[in-house]
Amino acid sequence: MIVLGLLVAGAVGSLLRYAVDHVVQRRLRSDFPLGILLVNLSGSLALGVLVGSNLHRGISTGWLTVAGTGLIGAYTTFSTFTFDAVRLAENDQWAFSLLTVVGGIGAGLGAAAVGLALGAMA
Amino acid sequence: MPAVRSGDTFRIPEAPLRLAAIAAGGALGTLARYGADRALVPAPLGFPWATFVVNVTGSFLLGLMVTLVVERWPPTRFVRPFAAIGFCGGFTTFSTMMVEAVQRAQHGRAGLAIGYLVASMAAGLLAAIAGMASARGRFRLPADRSIPDPDDLAELYSDPRRPPMDGGARP
Repeated sequence: MIVLGLLVAGAVGSLLRYAVDHVVQRRLRSDFPLGILLVNLSGSLALGVLVGSNLHRGISTGWLTVAGTGLIGAYTTFSTFTFDAVRLAENDQWAFSLLTVVGGIGAGLGAAAVGLALGAMA
Repeated sequence: MPAVRSGDTFRIPEAPLRLAAIAAGGALGTLARYGADRALVPAPLGFPWATFVVNVTGSFLLGLMVTLVVERWPPTRFVRPFAAIGFCGGFTTFSTMMVEAVQRAQHGRAGLAIGYLVASMAAGLLAAIAGMASARGRFRLPADRSIPDPDDLAELYSDPRRPPMDGGARP
């Protein structure tokens, strides 16, 4: 059952990531990978809420795995993040590359911390 | 858009197939990451090896696949949605890394959290560079052999009037 849930959640999460990235990046007249940044920040916030509430209120581990590992895990991505940083550096867009890495990690940590706090309060 | 018959060829509309390829790749990548989670269970608040290994190998694979698709292979339509956006995207994860790092920092293990982030970023970026270099043949001798198209779907449904779909898109 977990495997089936993970397959569905992984498919949905990946399609969501593609949809958000596609919509954001089409409107953005820039090479900065804002779409993936927004995906990763919203996902870090959401996983923080989920994990925070699990620690404090005891959501079942099966659901946590399908929603956290499956849906949110597949929604956010690390490989596109590193690929974009290298691609931007290759194109001599060093400021964008640095902003992708430092901004992504910094804001991602903030989003996860806020999420964990929100989850613990809820 | 329904499937259309034109002459003897039966063509399936492309957009839904590309989305299906993303979904299938994402489902498999997610299952593979779950397998790694089960195989490499970390000590409580220890170094999150599973996420680290998944993210670094996924970065190598994505660099390799996207560079092969964009720079080396003849135009394909489904390799990138399936292998890059789907599998590598679903396999690697950013949110888990962030929550793991914050949890460790909040439980008095800030040094481990920083080490985890720095190691993940350094190894992930190097892996992406290595994947791209491998695709460009920088790591092997016969540089200019053309690589056969592994994408059966593109052969089956290829339409010479359409421009290649994989060319300029993002991973």
